[in-house]
Amino acid sequence: MTNEEIKELLRIFNESGVGELELQRGKDRLRIRRAGESGWASAPPVGAAPAQSPAAALVAPATEPAKAPEADSSQVLVKSPIVGTFYDAPSPGAPAFVKVGDKVDVGQVLCIIESMKLMNEIEAEVAGIVASKLVENGRPVEYGEALFAILPH
Amino acid sequence: MFQKILIANRGEIALRVICACKDLGIRTVAVYSEADRHSLHTRFADEAVCIGPAKSARSYLDIPSVISAAEISNADAVHPGYGFLSENSDFAEVCETSGLKFIGPTPGVMRLMGLKQMARAAMEEAGVPILPGSKGALKSVEEAQKIAGEIGYPVMLKASAGGGGRGMRVVRSEEALQSLLGQAQAEAAASFSCGDVYMEKLVENPRHIEFQVLCDEHGNVEVLGERECSIQRRHQKLIEEAPSTIVSPELRKRISEKLREAFKAVGYTNAGTVEFLMDSSGDLHFIEVNARIQVEHPVTEMVTGVDLVTSQIRIAAGERLDEILTGPVEIRGHAIECRINAEHPETFAPSPGQITGLNLPGGAGIRVDTAAYHDGVISPHYDSLVAKLIAHGSDRAQAIARMRRALDMFVVEGIYTSIPLHRKILDHPDFVEGRLDTGFLARTGLAGVDKK
Repeated sequence: MTNEEIKELLRIFNESGVGELELQRGKDRLRIRRAGESGWASAPPVGAAPAQSPAAALVAPATEPAKAPEADSSQVLVKSPIVGTFYDAPSPGAPAFVKVGDKVDVGQVLCIIESMKLMNEIEAEVAGIVASKLVENGRPVEYGEALFAILPH
Repeated sequence: MFQKILIANRGEIALRVICACKDLGIRTVAVYSEADRHSLHTRFADEAVCIGPAKSARSYLDIPSVISAAEISNADAVHPGYGFLSENSDFAEVCETSGLKFIGPTPGVMRLMGLKQMARAAMEEAGVPILPGSKGALKSVEEAQKIAGEIGYPVMLKASAGGGGRGMRVVRSEEALQSLLGQAQAEAAASFSCGDVYMEKLVENPRHIEFQVLCDEHGNVEVLGERECSIQRRHQKLIEEAPSTIVSPELRKRISEKLREAFKAVGYTNAGTVEFLMDSSGDLHFIEVNARIQVEHPVTEMVTGVDLVTSQIRIAAGERLDEILTGPVEIRGHAIECRINAEHPETFAPSPGQITGLNLPGGAGIRVDTAAYHDGVISPHYDSLVAKLIAHGSDRAQAIARMRRALDMFVVEGIYTSIPLHRKILDHPDFVEGRLDTGFLARTGLAGVDKK
């Protein structure tokens, strides 16, 4: 399944009134689900690049090291405390909670992880500047996965 | 048939379920704690999701984490394995409401079987012999004294809502009853949030005999013979075998018929095991139902030729027993299983660590179920099971010979294992001649420095 095909499917999905679409073609599998009124489409990744094996639709088996990005030691990684789906804004279409470069305080909400239909707000545990955002909106995340890197004050 | 199954477990049983799924062409999702990042079940599943830190309560036992992992991986069904959430009816119910098929019995039946005295009552009604005892939870010391007087000391007090030895007390005389009852109730309340305790006649040094049951979702029940699990240490099984040398064909037939009736009556579905104690007169007494697949299921698989785990999956997918079992169940030959644990063979001290050398035995009649591998780590966070070594032969003597040979060729370096203990047991004349009971280790002195 190429990126073009996925974009086309998303376009068709968004234009239709369909609530959820699941498609399997050979070993590729795609699920799109509408959450909420305004047609939020969140497709689980079928591979960052089309060449990547679609069998590893979610995360590669753990023989690869966990996806700890190259944060330098001065940065603090915000890691997901639960399994679920990452959203960077309070609702579809709303502005993101934080952007790269924003100053954040302790306790400030950075993102939402949705788990079993419950929205869990993830708060900053250090004050500082958001150095990078490591997960795309709508992507499933596992326990311990790095979401943001923060450069503490 | 399911497209994708999430295995809510770890270690050898997670691998076992992955094997069954692969055999059926079903994709698999493994879940793992941070301590299990490099474990074998994550390697061989199609997908793997980290669900929490090492502590079981926050990973393998954490229902929201497991369900979330199923949601984000788009699994259709969940296999709970044994232990962990496998007998948790709340988990089974959450699976249902989340649109996931739970591969096991229904929540209601799990609850019934999980409340020990209710399971007793259900079995008794179907004519399955039960141990004399209280009709339900003991409501007062007076009631306890009365029943103990009727059935005769010694008696066993047991927690209704759980097992594993907690909430259990042996009472040998009336003087001790009141205080021990209080202790058992307090322990039960602390361990299982339910202080209900019931009473059963204590059978001294019984033989532990259990029957394997398979039920489809259309009301059909089959009993796949028995296993004997009498060689135990502190209520933990060390060696199991099928069939039992002490169960005659007539007894097997009679009990199987009663169990078929009982399981039909309660509406049981999927796999289950019915545990009995056999007293010195050779009578069987029901003690409990385990509403899940058991550790020792391979010995039944070897003698019946039935793959119990693929059967579980196919039953959950709606298939009928007569499609899954290709003919009447026959017991062929004899199978023995040794649970190889990471512990010192004499002191039983746990021996977690890294495996620096590993040779798994093979050859005729040998099966090894394990998640251990060279350089793999046996974690201190979970149980100490390294491998299940199973030997099958055309009769018990051949199974014993093969098991001895396999134990001799099973090399594990870097950690201590119970292999030397198993080897001694397999040589002991009491074992060879079938003189088995739960007091075997103490009686034969093979338990070494066991401070029991």
